[in-house]
Amino acid sequence: MSDLSELHIDALTEIFSIGAGRAALSLSEIVGDEVHISVPSVLVINSEEIDSTTLALNGGRFGAVTQHFCGPFNAEAVLLFTEDQALKIVGDMMGSQMSIEEIAEFEHEAMCELGNIILNACLSAMADILHFTLESSLPNYRIASADEVLCRLKENADQPYVMILHIDLSIENRHTAGSLVFLLSSSSLANLVVHIDQFLGSIS
Amino acid sequence: MAFHVEYLKLNLSKKSIVPMHSSIKKLLIVDDSKVSRMLIRTHILARRPEWMIFETACGEDAIKFVDNELPDYCTMDINMPGISGTDAAERILSKYPSIKIVVFSANIQEVHQNRARSLGSILVAKPVTEKSIALALNYFTDSE
Amino acid sequence: MNAMDTRRFDIEDIFNAINIGLIVVDTDSKVLLWNDWIAKHSNIKETDALDRQLEDVFSEPVSPPFLTALNNTLVHRLPVVLSTALHRSPLPLYNAYEANQPKTRMYQSITITPIQSQLNESCCLIQVADSSTSMKREKILRSHSEILKKEAVTDSLTGICNRRFFDAHYEIAVAEAKRQKHPLSIFMIDIDFFKLYNDHYGHIAGDNIIKQIANTLKSQLSRATDVIARYGGEEFVLIMPHLPREAAEQFAEKLRSAVFNLAIPHVKSHSFNQVTVSIGLCSGIPENDNNPLNKADTALYQAKQNGRNQYICLPLGENFEQ
Repeated sequence: MSDLSELHIDALTEIFSIGAGRAALSLSEIVGDEVHISVPSVLVINSEEIDSTTLALNGGRFGAVTQHFCGPFNAEAVLLFTEDQALKIVGDMMGSQMSIEEIAEFEHEAMCELGNIILNACLSAMADILHFTLESSLPNYRIASADEVLCRLKENADQPYVMILHIDLSIENRHTAGSLVFLLSSSSLANLVVHIDQFLGSIS
Repeated sequence: MAFHVEYLKLNLSKKSIVPMHSSIKKLLIVDDSKVSRMLIRTHILARRPEWMIFETACGEDAIKFVDNELPDYCTMDINMPGISGTDAAERILSKYPSIKIVVFSANIQEVHQNRARSLGSILVAKPVTEKSIALALNYFTDSE
Repeated sequence: MNAMDTRRFDIEDIFNAINIGLIVVDTDSKVLLWNDWIAKHSNIKETDALDRQLEDVFSEPVSPPFLTALNNTLVHRLPVVLSTALHRSPLPLYNAYEANQPKTRMYQSITITPIQSQLNESCCLIQVADSSTSMKREKILRSHSEILKKEAVTDSLTGICNRRFFDAHYEIAVAEAKRQKHPLSIFMIDIDFFKLYNDHYGHIAGDNIIKQIANTLKSQLSRATDVIARYGGEEFVLIMPHLPREAAEQFAEKLRSAVFNLAIPHVKSHSFNQVTVSIGLCSGIPENDNNPLNKADTALYQAKQNGRNQYICLPLGENFEQ
């Protein structure tokens, strides 16, 4: 099931690039500067195969923004940044008038918003292009260690598939990399593939 | 790369049967996503079935292609492996100012809009839809 | 009969009593609900707001990111949050409308959620919270949790790490040394004839000795990766990663002499008439079945047997000759 064709992955990459572009536009409006977000790769694998390399995350602590989406397919979407980087992004977005301690106070709320913008943009691009509607929970932010994140992803028996997007985010002069992980049940992944096939069928 | 050569051959053979001064226009689609190229091709052909459509997957190939084929119009993605679409568009337009290029991108921040304008091109927001294709077609055929 | 009919109060009363701002707008962002909280903080009456475009209701401009977020929710039907951190004050709402008080613009946290009208139109609920109170609360909670965290890992008498922290840190440090195959040095340090000191000088003096020695040992450390903890009673433990045997032995001698040079009188000490320590050291690359802590303890026992005021080093693993 997890072996999507090259064309499926191409379609997903294009969809998420559009989402990334939209997220960048929203963020640039907030920070008043150029923001660049790209999705260099999309990967769909069995969650057992997941490790810190596939997530492109080194050890340490992570800020994780989670939203639950439901519609033709259900997914738990988790956006991960290392906590240090998350703090720096938030710092940059808020401008430099604050100390790192003050920024830490705002980390929770600001990371929720940053994650919300990126997650909504990616999911709304998907909904637009594949012609369906999705509903979503509000974002939730938590800090976890790499091991906790991996355990949670692996031990999720109901959602044995993961779709991983590597995300490059540049705000002003700061460059950051994160990962966006979708946890999918087999039926959700199958439904997603059906929608991509319908879309591909309409253009070929 | 492989498909580029393939399309090139296919269309060169077509070229021989195209009479000069016809309304048949040549459009080059530059995009690293095959799906995106398919999408643009499908929408354009729905409106302009007589056009010849060519594709390349990166800016470098696009520059080479333009030297050989001199298309009338071009759609250009921005984020691609190798040189960026805007850089490719700049090089093409400095050599062939008559080509009309539409930059297709999801990234429609002002910086990019201004850059496209300064090159003598326009930026049209992705996703590729009937609406965005209509904008591109209007730009292509505006002064004609 | 539905739940609404059986309710013995008016839902409007709830909207107006609630301590957050509630606005509902329709697809064209026309205002359908404007609760008392919003009316109070915007100084705009409900009757002046209803059925008007939200942007036009206020006399001051609404921030563009807010309008983008609202539009996104109306189009994509996905909930949006606007944080105080990134927006401060998107809507022209104020904290005080008393006559002689200066108006201050309220810091806000905003949530926009899609809802459906009874006619199936797509509408949005905008919830506005005054975030100045939550900012204060977060600050207090944060400092509380930091104190608690610090208390949980600190030995209250000496201020160095406690046994609990050491046990957790030890596991990680040994696992890392195993994995990376780097030499690790563990020191068990015990005050000689401490019971006799306590009996002779009293418990308060005894506690002071423990404090003084903890400080002295700690002051010898210079690397951030080294951890010293009070292991129990008059016993300390020190763990130093990336420290080969030879350097570890020199360091043990440095610790011993630092305590000796304090020259604290101890008339009941059988050999020296002053306070001394014995040190058991084990050093090397830990292997699977090694227990470095036990080995350091064995070394400490040998140092005591050998006459105290000295260190004994036992190698760990096979590659101890670093």
